[in-house]
Amino acid sequence: MKFSFSHRRAFVGGITAALLALTAGMASAQADKPLRIGFSMARTGMLANATPSQMNTYELWREQTNAKGGMDVGGVRRKVEFVVFDDQSKPEQAVRIYEKLITDDKVDLLLAPWGTPFHLAIAPVLEKFKFPMVGNTAASVALRQVKPGYIWFPTSAIPDRIGAELTAMLKTQNVKSVAVLSNVLPFTKEIKNFLEPELKKAGIEIKVSTEYPPDIADMTSTLTQIKQANVDAVLALAYPGDSVLYAKQAKELGLNQPFQFVAIGPSDAFFPKAVGAASAEGVVTIAHWSPRAEWKGSQAFYDAYVKKFGEDPDYLNSALAWMSLEILETTVAKTGLDKAKMRDMISSTTFDTINGKVKFEGVQNVITPTAFVQIQKGKLQLVWPASMASSKFEAKKGW
Amino acid sequence: MTVLETLLSGQLLFAALVTGSLYALIALGLNLVYGTMRLLNVAHGEVVMLGAYAAYWAFTALGLSPLLVAPVVAAAGGLLGYALYRGIFKRLLADSSAAQVQRMESNSLLLFFGLSIVLQNAAALVFTPNNRAYNYLGTVYHLGSVSMTGNRLAALCVAGTCCLLVAVFLGRSVFGLATRAVIERREAAFIVGVDVDRVQWLSFVLGFASAALAGVLVSMLGQFSPFSGFPYTIAGFIVIILGGLGNAMAGLLAALLLGVIETYGVALTSANMRSMLLYGAFVAALLLFPNGVFARRAAAR
Repeated sequence: MKFSFSHRRAFVGGITAALLALTAGMASAQADKPLRIGFSMARTGMLANATPSQMNTYELWREQTNAKGGMDVGGVRRKVEFVVFDDQSKPEQAVRIYEKLITDDKVDLLLAPWGTPFHLAIAPVLEKFKFPMVGNTAASVALRQVKPGYIWFPTSAIPDRIGAELTAMLKTQNVKSVAVLSNVLPFTKEIKNFLEPELKKAGIEIKVSTEYPPDIADMTSTLTQIKQANVDAVLALAYPGDSVLYAKQAKELGLNQPFQFVAIGPSDAFFPKAVGAASAEGVVTIAHWSPRAEWKGSQAFYDAYVKKFGEDPDYLNSALAWMSLEILETTVAKTGLDKAKMRDMISSTTFDTINGKVKFEGVQNVITPTAFVQIQKGKLQLVWPASMASSKFEAKKGW
Repeated sequence: MTVLETLLSGQLLFAALVTGSLYALIALGLNLVYGTMRLLNVAHGEVVMLGAYAAYWAFTALGLSPLLVAPVVAAAGGLLGYALYRGIFKRLLADSSAAQVQRMESNSLLLFFGLSIVLQNAAALVFTPNNRAYNYLGTVYHLGSVSMTGNRLAALCVAGTCCLLVAVFLGRSVFGLATRAVIERREAAFIVGVDVDRVQWLSFVLGFASAALAGVLVSMLGQFSPFSGFPYTIAGFIVIILGGLGNAMAGLLAALLLGVIETYGVALTSANMRSMLLYGAFVAALLLFPNGVFARRAAAR
């Protein structure tokens, strides 16, 4: 392509103008001193389709907080501004971004990125700069190996607990044999590794145990095998990306087990829309939250989310993201931005959240029990454990 | 399940046909554009993805049946292809010296790669990266021991019919003859009076339209996001390597073969072997049949 001189001048001129506009914007932003909160988010790459449940929750919180006049920082309300970068679904990218957020952008607070590998990857960065951050969408036994101090994990959906609790729940339903199919991605693989020994210990026969890759496009082969095994329950350790495929093909092949567990996906609003309400009905999945009166703010959060986004929040990940924001809010209102004080308060306080009380010992939330929900009449109901159940388990009647 | 039972299972045959027919439709478009212009369209899967979104929005926002809007979506895809051809490629293809043609082949890879990234991220911005799926024709039909969901049956019928129609059209019509001439000897075709420009833009239109149509069908089966186009590009490339570059009819057979390899291979081994089976077939075809598994028969005809 030919580049004439005048073209080049226009080009350089355009760039200069753009830069000037940018610096002008930055200067005026500094003048009103908003509170700058940074985080990385998988906007592109293989996790991008999972992150909106978390990102939407952050957005909702910022909107509500700013409508109240800002976030309470040790008694002074300051408007909230997000500093977000796309980590392209790569943990090593998130590491660079959090370093940059702390050292270069000099943000006031940090929010969590999406997913376990990202939390694990940035933990050393938080440690290095002594910058406390409340995690949310991470769940793995590996979290317990993280050095306590600057990161906390509110989730109770830890794979070893899931294995034990799911087995206990299957026992109460008199399940004698199961088929386990698992996506090979880390979280579901980890659940499988803890679940299968528990099932064996409890005397539940695993008639089929199989794995599949995340890019699976047809499950006929696997599901035919499961159908022939004639089991009492199917435990599909699926990710959102393949939970719909499982449901559609389980329907085609007539997998009519009354206990259908689908690990990740059904807690998100897209699931019933994708497979049809009748098919979604009765599916059991992982979540430890639902809107209920005794958890203050849970109904309000649910209503506000539905109003803003036109669909239900993810009962697992949106709820966790909101809990992490509540913990941060309560802390900063008391301590201001003093990092050492923040760290001490988060480590020692019992917080009230939309998921009830939360208290950390080391990095882990020791109050919230591991739980399961079931889709009943189009709503997610807590069905396990009995101590916090909002409804009783109902046998699934086909798809 | 014994090996014999697996091989005789009608259910698996159905799955293999559904997979194979979709691969065939996707590879068809890729093959036409490559064959006539030596352009490697790595953004092909993104057109499939856009077609899927079009069907999704038509169904969820407007309540229109995806099968009814399929021709419209295909036409829109064709239009996009036409615009790209007129806007970018016509000028680049006009200089048909040997050196230029070679450079074009590698440059097109970069150009389409860029286009693919732009389309992915534009879709992520406009449609959000959420997973999308909808429930359409979810009734299950039983034929003997085989159960078939309506949407999979419909996908098989539409994809199969379209592929056969295009194959017959290319085999019988004057345009098809001209296309094959351009594929085999571009310059010679030009000399004997084939309207190369027309063949090229029609190939572009047909290629993009079939990709968009495949997108409509794909959207009825599972879920998709702005980033789910790429695997289809890969599957398309494997099919045309198996069938022979620029050879449409052999491509159909190769797509069915790939569907069979994938479905039965997974049934006999494990779902974890899927990628290994697909790429294994790809590498084996390149090593053993560098001109395509079905190439010799096609050449002898």
